[in-house]
Amino acid sequence: MYGIFMECWVIFKLYGGNGYLLALYVASMLYLLVAEKDMRKKLVMAVAPLIILVGFFAPFTRIVFAAVKEGDTYYRILWMIPMTVSIAYAGCKLFMDHKRIGLAVVSAIIILGGSIVYKNEYMLKAENAYHIPQVVVDVCDVISPEEGEPRVRAVFPSELLHFVRQYDTSILMPYGRDVPHNQYYNAVHEAFEKPEVINAGELLEATRQAQCRYIVMYKDRAIDVKLEDMGLTLVETVGGYNIYEDPELLQ
Amino acid sequence: MVVLSALTLILWLFIVPMGIGFLVQRILPRTKKTVGITFLCGYLLSFAVFEVIAIWCMFKIQYGAFDKCSVAYTGMEGILAVIGYALRIWDVQKAYYKGANLFYLLFPGDERAKPEAMISPRTDVRVMKFQYSRESLLYWGIFGLIVIFQLYKAVTMAPFDGDDAYYVVESVLAQQVGVMNTIHPYTGSSTALDLRHAMAVFTLWIAFIAKMSGIHATIVSHTIMPLLILPMTYLIYLEIGRILMGRRQDMLPIYMIFVSLLTMFGNTSIYTAETFLMMRTWQGKSMTSNFVLPFVVWLFLWMFDDCRKPGFLWNEETGGGSRIVRNSTWILLFLLNMTAGIMSSMGIVFGTGLAGLFSFLLLIYTRDFRIIPKAILSVIPTGIYLSVLYVFLK
Repeated sequence: MYGIFMECWVIFKLYGGNGYLLALYVASMLYLLVAEKDMRKKLVMAVAPLIILVGFFAPFTRIVFAAVKEGDTYYRILWMIPMTVSIAYAGCKLFMDHKRIGLAVVSAIIILGGSIVYKNEYMLKAENAYHIPQVVVDVCDVISPEEGEPRVRAVFPSELLHFVRQYDTSILMPYGRDVPHNQYYNAVHEAFEKPEVINAGELLEATRQAQCRYIVMYKDRAIDVKLEDMGLTLVETVGGYNIYEDPELLQ
Repeated sequence: MVVLSALTLILWLFIVPMGIGFLVQRILPRTKKTVGITFLCGYLLSFAVFEVIAIWCMFKIQYGAFDKCSVAYTGMEGILAVIGYALRIWDVQKAYYKGANLFYLLFPGDERAKPEAMISPRTDVRVMKFQYSRESLLYWGIFGLIVIFQLYKAVTMAPFDGDDAYYVVESVLAQQVGVMNTIHPYTGSSTALDLRHAMAVFTLWIAFIAKMSGIHATIVSHTIMPLLILPMTYLIYLEIGRILMGRRQDMLPIYMIFVSLLTMFGNTSIYTAETFLMMRTWQGKSMTSNFVLPFVVWLFLWMFDDCRKPGFLWNEETGGGSRIVRNSTWILLFLLNMTAGIMSSMGIVFGTGLAGLFSFLLLIYTRDFRIIPKAILSVIPTGIYLSVLYVFLK
């Protein structure tokens, strides 16, 4: 039981990240428990969250979540706690008679203790309205079938994998993000992504079996024999990516 | 073309939901008949209607399911919106008198308190909109600037999230191929319904907006949706704040500044609701944590707030104590549970769980046992949803 409790504690800490805003929330909740005179507001803003928090740390809850295969999303219980509202309300309540000071102090605590989302490493400058890398758009525009033509299948390097079908679903892929993400076996992935130096023969065997008409490969990707020498046509180089077409799969 | 797309977006994202909101507005107490609440309620009913139509089409129609779903939903939304506008206009023209402010006739809840009402001992200022001082207006301005900044960033920044390869592609597939979750988003091969995700049809609602406006579903998800969802989230927080601040409505803009800062600086980990709101705005999980759950909190704050003994003002507010108006929160909770279902299968469980906890506390506080059947009735959508999920997953 103690082990399960510690698991919950770790999830709680991971949820809080640097921990400052989480600590600020706990302080806000305790403050509201003590200072809120209106029982109705206290029940919603402090008592109910406290019950949820106790439920979160109760090993039983964790066991139930694991039983329904939702162990990975256990942290989402914390979404039921209105943390943002509690902190903002507690801040207002505490400085009710000193608005200007309160505004400055609480804002400073939030800014200094929090982490601005725009500095997140996964927050990038948008290159287009799709909010996907422009190189994906450019590559897809080259291989995308014309209207009425059959769909095409293409293999892409892992860094482009997520975006291709967000742009054009007429481009099929032999595998998606789940294969590298969950370490599933896929012959094309094994031949294309796993080796340091690609074995062109093995790659072609796999892509032909998977009916891949195109291979999109970074121009500097190490490969033992050039794909042109294996009979493929270099259609175009876009944004550093070579687009090869396999004549055997031309319809 | 761009102008036409923009006009269609305005039609489907603002005009139609507002018309539908007017339908729901009829059951709201007078003080809740505001622009914001009407708009939010319009979305609740729209999402609820979409859940029924989309899930039915997904299960029952084999070919071209999304096209038929779109036709049915367009028709239903159109009818509801027209009825909503027609009834509201009918009511307004009946109440109209020379010199009346048309806006306040449409949204009586937005009417500002008159000075004499503020000083009258019979007036409960908690239900009267506040006349803000110049200082408070300045704070509102700061809040507005923060929101504009966030909206600007939402358009010019592109957060990367791996799950988009699944959810956004589901939307694109519906728009480009006309299928409802029957093509594997990662590879493009045909697949059986992945029920755990398929029942959460918010991706298809986005596809519907994309189809109507002729804008690529990925653009709608990544660029358009934040412009709608962020302000809607703030609307819910605003209503929560209105109740929490009670007589001190002058604190409301400061509270909203704190909320907006917490939203922006809440990226302390990848798990927080704030991170989901800012980086995965268009995903059902984000809608669960930032739309559904705060909505539940607001509805119960409202219910707790209404616990006071029905008196003169209460009767006036509820149109003579009309039963449907007194129970409007439970009806909204019913619609909200349906809405939670389109967001995520986990969302509907969390929404219901939170509503259950609050109902229990409300029961203890009021000792009014009529809460039990009302709470049970309001979670009927959850029961149906989970039953369907269970039957098909078994």
